[in-house]
Amino acid sequence: MASIQDRTHEFKTCVDSIRSRSALGNRGVEAKQRLLQNGRATTKSEFSRMASSIGKDISSTTLKLNKLGQLAKRKTLFDDRPVEISELTFIVKQDIASINKQIAQLQAHGKQQEAKSASTSIEGKLLEEHNKNIIMMLQSKLAETSMTFKDVLEVRTQNMKESKSRTEQFMYTATTAANQQPSMLYGNQRGGADPMSDGSPMKFDPKGKSRAVQDGDMLALDLDSAEEGGSANGGAFMQMQLVEQQDTYIQQRSTAIESIESTIAELGQIFTQLAHMVAEQGERVQRIDADTQDIADNVRMGHNELLKYWGRISNDRWLMLKIFGVLIVFFLLFILVS
Amino acid sequence: MKIFSIAILHAPPSGATTVLSTASDLTSFSFFQRGSVQEFMTFFARTVAERTQEGQRQSVQEREYTFHSYNRGGAEQIAAVIICDQEYPVRPAFSLLSKILDDFTSKVPQSSYSNPGSISFPDIENYIQKYQDPTQADSIMRVQQELDETKIVLHKTIESVLQRGEKLDNLVDRSNALSAQSKMFYKTAKKQNSCCVLM
Repeated sequence: MASIQDRTHEFKTCVDSIRSRSALGNRGVEAKQRLLQNGRATTKSEFSRMASSIGKDISSTTLKLNKLGQLAKRKTLFDDRPVEISELTFIVKQDIASINKQIAQLQAHGKQQEAKSASTSIEGKLLEEHNKNIIMMLQSKLAETSMTFKDVLEVRTQNMKESKSRTEQFMYTATTAANQQPSMLYGNQRGGADPMSDGSPMKFDPKGKSRAVQDGDMLALDLDSAEEGGSANGGAFMQMQLVEQQDTYIQQRSTAIESIESTIAELGQIFTQLAHMVAEQGERVQRIDADTQDIADNVRMGHNELLKYWGRISNDRWLMLKIFGVLIVFFLLFILVS
Repeated sequence: MKIFSIAILHAPPSGATTVLSTASDLTSFSFFQRGSVQEFMTFFARTVAERTQEGQRQSVQEREYTFHSYNRGGAEQIAAVIICDQEYPVRPAFSLLSKILDDFTSKVPQSSYSNPGSISFPDIENYIQKYQDPTQADSIMRVQQELDETKIVLHKTIESVLQRGEKLDNLVDRSNALSAQSKMFYKTAKKQNSCCVLM
């Protein structure tokens, strides 16, 4: 499905232009004559010419988009061709923006024609409706293309994430751990000020070059910004061209600051680990506490029982001594007697 | 890691640099060498500043000395050169230069550039003394150092917390056993009470 071009629109516009040329009826002929006399045939065919050129552009953009999709789908770790892909992305974006402009022009043209012509006549009305339909069709085609573009970019982002995680599995370093969290310092840096010399009071000089490329990987396509033709990616490319000669010092500074940031992130992780361990140990302490309570209770109660026993025995022994004493006396008496 | 000298120069693009202010720390040289070393340093500072274009930073290596120069240009067209040994880290050297230049331009008016003798900038001496140890003076390096120390302390803390955990485990087991034993004690005592009613 990718390689099939959709040229229905061109065909339709050709058919329309031919139909306007050939006579379908008297009214049509008269209308045609009137049109020719008014010189509006030129504007009408101009309209259809513009429409057909837009259609051609759309089809070529669709071709490029398909190629981009092919490239983005590749899942190899090392043969990735980011330069080509980013170039293609840029080109496709520019194409979409220009097509949009052309459609806007066409629409303005159509409206101008509407204002000029006497819209009371039926052919005029039909013509306007026809123009509007063409414009709507072109716009819907463009929207489709932009949607496909967005999907391709999403696929690309996904694959890049996967390849990054796979690279990480083979070559894990501390810096990759820190880079997983998007650097907050450089998060607001899209299309910001060009890298200045160190005369500025700000200590964190934004460094355009390598950060721009990395931010370009995480593509967030905004259709409005694509139409303006100046999205964050466009700004990042411009930043790369604006890089100063003397950026080694700035690079060193940013590396140092990045390492500080990663250290701070590590520290944060250590702190959370610490808190986790302490919380877990708190639970153990509670168990110990409950156990000691139980021990105290048990020992106390056992002590009570023993006290009761002791009390009973010490009380009873008196009586028992008396009973035994009496019994022994009787036994002795009986033995002595017998 | 030593700084030997810092020099601030007026460096117009026409090429004739004049030294506006300089400070040196020549304690590592013997007393008799100091004069010639000072001259050598001044000469080199001027040459390097002349060869550094406006807005450019450069590092030059000459035997065992390293010269970092930063030509800020701008309205005052001044440049700063620092002469240090090879071990001194590059990045704080340049940040030191920028700081000195900012300080200088704020404190010394441009009118006195034509008369270098009249410029008094005693802070330059402070700078050279302070920056002998870059980890203390350069804020980024200081932060990094403190963070590293904190990390070490935290590692130790986590180790002690682990040991505490082991001891707590031990305590849990013991208190469990003790609790069982005390329960047995209580039961035996109770049984003794209820069983032998006669005695």
